[in-house]
Amino acid sequence: MPRRIAYKRIFLLAVLVLLTLALVKYTAYGRLSVSPVEAALRDALSPVQGLATQVGHRLKGLVSFPFDVVGMTRRNHELSENLKKAEGQLRQLEEYRLENQRLQKLLDFHSNTAQAMGFELTNAAVISRDPGNWFGMLRINKGSDQGIQKNMTVLSPEGLVGRISSVSADTAEVLLITDPRSGVGALIQENRTPGLVEGVSPATGQIRMVHIPTGALVKKNQVVITAGMGSLYLKGIPVGTVSTVGRESSGLFKSATLVPFVDFDRLEEVMVITSSGAPGSKVSLADIPPPWGQAEKSGGSPGTVRAGESASDGKAPVKETSAEKNGGGQPAT
Amino acid sequence: MRLMVLLIFSFVALLLQSSTFNSFQIWGIKPDLVLLIIVFNAFLRGHREGAFAGFCVGLLQDIITGSYIGLNALTYMAVGYLVGMTQSKLYKDSSLIMMFLMLAASLVEQFLKYLLMSYTGVLISPLVALIRVMIPTAIYTALLVPLLYKKFQHSNQNGWLSGRDV
Repeated sequence: MPRRIAYKRIFLLAVLVLLTLALVKYTAYGRLSVSPVEAALRDALSPVQGLATQVGHRLKGLVSFPFDVVGMTRRNHELSENLKKAEGQLRQLEEYRLENQRLQKLLDFHSNTAQAMGFELTNAAVISRDPGNWFGMLRINKGSDQGIQKNMTVLSPEGLVGRISSVSADTAEVLLITDPRSGVGALIQENRTPGLVEGVSPATGQIRMVHIPTGALVKKNQVVITAGMGSLYLKGIPVGTVSTVGRESSGLFKSATLVPFVDFDRLEEVMVITSSGAPGSKVSLADIPPPWGQAEKSGGSPGTVRAGESASDGKAPVKETSAEKNGGGQPAT
Repeated sequence: MRLMVLLIFSFVALLLQSSTFNSFQIWGIKPDLVLLIIVFNAFLRGHREGAFAGFCVGLLQDIITGSYIGLNALTYMAVGYLVGMTQSKLYKDSSLIMMFLMLAASLVEQFLKYLLMSYTGVLISPLVALIRVMIPTAIYTALLVPLLYKKFQHSNQNGWLSGRDV
């Protein structure tokens, strides 16, 4: 009896195995459609499965939340640090970009304008300024050890900055043309009318051209350049443009307010003319954009005095301030 | 000792004025940080100490800037003396009173400087000097009083500046 039961069980098992194998074969991957039973079961189960999956996600989120918070806090801290570093680097890069622009301008000036004008230049960085509001002085990081001497002309690519007023071994003081103690022999470029450019006050950033002969035609936007003529400043350096024209209180001369080409509040690098020779042959002044390109249109080399152009032998005497008188001349080259 | 501390404070103020504060110019004007120290000190210590400290700090500034030595020494001494005269007449704990005092002191100091500059041959139009230099500098300097006066006062009572001598 037990043996019969055993055979029966083996038979049922075999049938079950065979049926299952058939089912496996029938439902193998690649068949075109599902059976009605499967379809009904799948449709009935799908909402439950969806709900269960969602609950699972929520539960996982709930369980892992404290761990995530710790991780997120750490990550947030790391990202904040990275952001700070990146912002610092961006600021640094921006600073390099602006410095590069300024240095590029200086380099262009060296290889074009300075060569055409026959200037030999030394670059210097501005390290400090006068602490008060009355005087326009700045200190540069080059001194007598680097060949800087008193009364040398100081420029920027835009135009005249001032002159060296005192020198130490590694620094020099620059008297800006906006300083009320400054006086520059100048010409109106268009009609070669002479005058004297004086500083008004560093706070205003303006300069004034005085002792202009009354008969001279002075108009707004005319360019004013240095006159040379034995002055401390070399000839042909752009100073500024005429803004307003008036008459001096004496009634004998005209005066004009000028807007300088140089923005004195933003000066960071300047150039000192250490010597002036003959203009270079590679670059012509005609190739240089105004106001530098037009500075010498009437001929003559920088620092020279042309016949009939001197203010002192013209119609109006040009006053030289005590600052200019005491200074001597541009060092011999 | 106290004078040394005042001179160090003034030296730092001068460094800031000639470098960092160039980036904080308003209408081409920088505040006079040294004057703040002179006026605070004179107001809290009286006319004798005010004048003496003003002279020493002014001389330091003249030596550092290297021109017209005595110009700042004289003007700061005069301002120190004048402000010191008000020591017992005004309420000391009010920043507002100090602001008005600073405004007046700055105008007086700059007017004296203007006269001395004219005496040395530096000529600036009076209108330009008043409108573009004196008034803006006085306002800018006075506006810094609320930031610094209480700290100076505290230092004068319990801090580095609490010593007896100047």
